[in-house]
Order: sequence, then C-alpha cells, then structure tokens
Amino acid sequence: MIQISKKEPRLKRAILPALLLLSFTFLMFSCKTNPGNNADESKIDTALTGTVTAELTTAPNVPKPLTYTSPKKVMVTLETIEKVMPISDSSEYTFWTFGGHVPGNFIRVRQGDLVDFTLKNAPDSKMSHSIDLHAVIGPGGGADATATAPGQSTHFQFRALHPGLYVYHCATGPVPLHIANGMYGLILVEPQGGLPKVDREYYLMQGDFYTKGKYNAPGLQDFDETKALAENPDYVLFNGKVRSTTGPNALQAKVGETVRLFVGNGGPNLVSSFHPIGQIFTKVYMEGGTEVNHDVQTTLIPAGGAAIVEMKMHVPEVINLVDHSIFRAFNKGAIAQIKVTGAENPSVYQKLKP
Amino acid sequence: MITTFFCAANAQKKVVISGDKMVTVPSGKYHPFFITPNNKPIPVPAFKMDETAVTNAEFLEFVKANPEWRRSKVNRLFADTNYLRHWQSDLSIGERNKKIYNSPVVNVSWFAAEAYCKWKNKKLPTIAQWEIASKAAPKNFKYKSLTEFILDWYTKPNPKVLPNVKSTYQNEYGLYDMNGLIWEWTFNFNSFIGSRDSRGNDEDELKNFCAGGALNVADKSDYAAFLRFSYRGSLKGNYCIANLGFRCVKN
Repeated sequence: MIQISKKEPRLKRAILPALLLLSFTFLMFSCKTNPGNNADESKIDTALTGTVTAELTTAPNVPKPLTYTSPKKVMVTLETIEKVMPISDSSEYTFWTFGGHVPGNFIRVRQGDLVDFTLKNAPDSKMSHSIDLHAVIGPGGGADATATAPGQSTHFQFRALHPGLYVYHCATGPVPLHIANGMYGLILVEPQGGLPKVDREYYLMQGDFYTKGKYNAPGLQDFDETKALAENPDYVLFNGKVRSTTGPNALQAKVGETVRLFVGNGGPNLVSSFHPIGQIFTKVYMEGGTEVNHDVQTTLIPAGGAAIVEMKMHVPEVINLVDHSIFRAFNKGAIAQIKVTGAENPSVYQKLKP
Repeated sequence: MITTFFCAANAQKKVVISGDKMVTVPSGKYHPFFITPNNKPIPVPAFKMDETAVTNAEFLEFVKANPEWRRSKVNRLFADTNYLRHWQSDLSIGERNKKIYNSPVVNVSWFAAEAYCKWKNKKLPTIAQWEIASKAAPKNFKYKSLTEFILDWYTKPNPKVLPNVKSTYQNEYGLYDMNGLIWEWTFNFNSFIGSRDSRGNDEDELKNFCAGGALNVADKSDYAAFLRFSYRGSLKGNYCIANLGFRCVKN
C-alpha cells in the first residue's frame, strides 16, 4: 500500500523495520479489540456523554436513526397492557402486549449505550409480566429483575455491548402463553456510526396464534392450549392482525428508493421463511447480526430471532411479504405488503402481449 | 420493624363479627409445584377455611375497629399507595360503589390481610392449604375442566365492576370462587422461591422459571398453576393490587 521510492535506499532501510513493527502492532491490536466482528467490548468502560430518552414507536414505524456519536445513558420505559383487540375481521383476542400493540414498541439504541430500563405493569392487568431482551447480557436478559405485579414497576440497567437486531419478550411463567398472547417486540442496537442511510425503514414482526375457534370465527376467542402444544396455529400474522399491513395499510415506497425492514419473529412456535414476492433482498443482515449476505430470495427467521433486510425498488408493484411456508400465507394470514409507486421501468420488467 | 408490627397487631382488641361462615377442608397431601429433592409432598391436616373471600363490607368493619388500618393512616411499609384506593374515603366504600359491598375486598396488602385474619382469630392460608382447597372438584360446572375454566378467566381482562362473592362456582368442600373472581394472598406467597436445589439451581432460576425453570415443574401442562405461581412470585408484602384479595383459615 505504501510506495517507497527506489531513489532513497537509506530511507528505505530505516522505514521497512518500522513498517513491519507497525503492521505487527496493528495486527495484535486488531486481534485484541475485535474478537468477533463488531463486538467491541472496549466500550464497556467508556464514559457516558449525557442522558436521552429513547423514542419508542409502534409497528410498522421505526424510531429515527440515532445522531449521537458517543455512548449515552438511554432511558426506556415499557408498559405491559392486557387488551382485547381484533385479530381478524370477525375475531377478537385478549392480547398481552408491551405498549398496547402487537408487536411491542420498537426500541433503538447505539452500541456502547447504557440502557436504563423500567418495566411498568398496568394497574388493571390480571397477570404478572416481565421482560427478557435478547440484547442484554445478564440474568434472564432482564427477566430476573423485572417480575412485575399489576400496578407495579421494576427497574434495571444494561450495557448494549453487541450491535444487532434483537427480540424481546415476556419471560413470566408459563412463558409460551405470554409469548403466544403477543408479548414480544424488537430492540435495535445500532453499530458504532449507525447503519448505512436508506430511504425508508419499517418494522414487521411475525407471530403464531392459537384460538378455540377456527380462523376468523366470530367473537372473542380464547387461547387454545392443545393447539399451541401441537404447534398447530390458527393464525400466522405480521404485526398481530390479519391484513395489519396490506391494502390501505400497506407499507409505502417509491421507485428508486431503498427500503430497509426490521423483521422479527416472536413465535412462539414457528420459524419463518421470509420472502418478498416480486423482489430480491439486496442485503440481509443474517439473523439480525453483523454478517451481511447479498442477493437473497428467502431468509430464515427463527422463533425468537430477527433479520434486517433491504430492497431496492426498481418498478411500481405491490410486493407481498410472506412466510413462504405458503399455507401460512394463503390460509393463516402471513402476508404484509409494500406498495411501490412511480414510473414504469421496462428495462427491468415489462409485460408483453402474447 | 415487622416484629413491632406484629406485637401491635396482637395487642389489638379482638372483636369477632359473627356470620362469616367457614367450611372444613379435609386433610390431604400437597404436591409442590416445583420438584426438588427438598420439595416432597406435604401432608396437610384438616382445617377450616372462609367460605368466600373477605368482602369490602367485612373489611370496612375491620378498618373501623382498627384505625391504624385506615387509608390515610396506614404505614407505607405495610401497604403501598394503592391501599383501598377503590373506596371513597377512610371509612366509606362509597354510594357509587354499592355494587361492590359484597364483592371481594382488593387493593389490600399482605400485612393488611394478615392483620384482618388475626383480628378474626384466624390466619392466612399457606400455599399448601390454598392449593389443596382449590383443587376440589367444582359443583354444577359447565366447563370441561377446572384448568380450562381458570385459563379462560386468566386470559380475560379485569371486569369494570368486580362481581359479588358466590358469583362463580362452589366446590365440593363448599368453598366459593376459589378461582375465577380474584387472586388471593397466601401466608407464604413467595416462599416457593426460597428452597434451594441441591443440584445447584439457585433461587433466581426458580423465580424466573423461564423455559429452563420449567424442567422442575411437576405438571408442565398446568398453565393455570404456572400463572398463579408467577403471580405470587412477583408480589411483595406491601403491594395492593386491583385483583388481589384474600380469605382466612383456622387450624
């Protein structure tokens, strides 16, 4: 990389050993501080530069990218709320939620931040709740500190050591029931310097639901423990409701834009084969981590896992985002949509006459 | 502090109000929810238990007789700020609240519940006593199973107006509403987290009993019991909660 002029042999003799030493030191240094990609644990003791309150959003919205460059103390408060909401056009379900929606509020922090976390349980909750954030290194991912009775609150703090997109969920026994009722959401730990800029960001989260009545059976539906144990859901949904993100509620984008989706899978049971019909993921941050794959048709999102995917919009179309275990999309609700508007682009796609 | 409190409670006048009916729960064996080498089935001798949960009207008598348990006077160590918050004032449930005179009293702390029972020459049931009493088969029941009934109740939000006692079902011991109306305090509500497992399970693991903790659970499909134990595990003695009341027992 560094050119050394042949005309200066004396200088060359002096510089070479220095360069060798330098590169060796550099190697040592990088091994020491960079054990696994972006996992920079040297930030543990970094002094904090002020306190901010995290912006929390409801799906499909994502908090704005963070603009600060040095670690801060970030205040986050989530409230667990039990609430009857429609699960389909004719059916209602008693959802247990973080923030009154399924999935729960999206949390966005930066690697190195110290997160000061308060969990509140609404006074009229029937149940105790807690939270396990997969971004936490500590007992139970926070669950140990957050068993929260109705009307009470609990409090703990953690350092966001590793960048990535992480699931959080309730971890109160029986955990499967709390998750099956909708108690999950996503927390993004941005890497140092943030993610590359894109035109739009959205939040989707898949979950499977088990009801006494069949798909779309009228009225308030009770949880069905037998179906849940058999892993045989009536509903497989994005963002907690049939057609939550289709038709008039579809995500919007324009030709020429790049769209980033933060996609989680709450489960409790099913693994998602996440696929965009009529599109290709230009980037997939696999399993929500730092490794990026390119040009992907379908990416696997495990229960209790996530992925960040990006697409470049080339033509006007409606992109159906599905779980390609396709009966789930066809019969159980697992479809979301992006409506792309703008000028036709025949060099990429055109329909021809027979 | 707690010792002082109990001494004070013992020194109180013991006024027994007649009319609160108790029924006999026959002796039995309680199988602990968590299986550990130290958690063996516990023999429980026969005992008497209040037929219903203590009502607002009954608790008002207690508060009248024991000024230190009035809402404005209670020691915050023994009852948090939600104590009796659904009442109109210290000594009035309120005209608006007529419908709940005979509903279970809620928003009462463990300390308040225990003091009430003492005042009646009774005590709070242990977890073993409560669980044995609630296991009795229901009479005139339209549900397939008790667990299903409980789960259905657990998964519905609290009603706007808490129904009166005797509004759900009676079990074969003659007890009303053991499930389906409110949660109930037990004497040792959080003691189940205290028994350390000799294999090195610490109490935190038992407290969470997340997926891993479920390994030690006697009946993993008994989701109703799971919810009950989770609820108890999140409590502290001074908590006052809108769906948590109590009933008393006598040995």
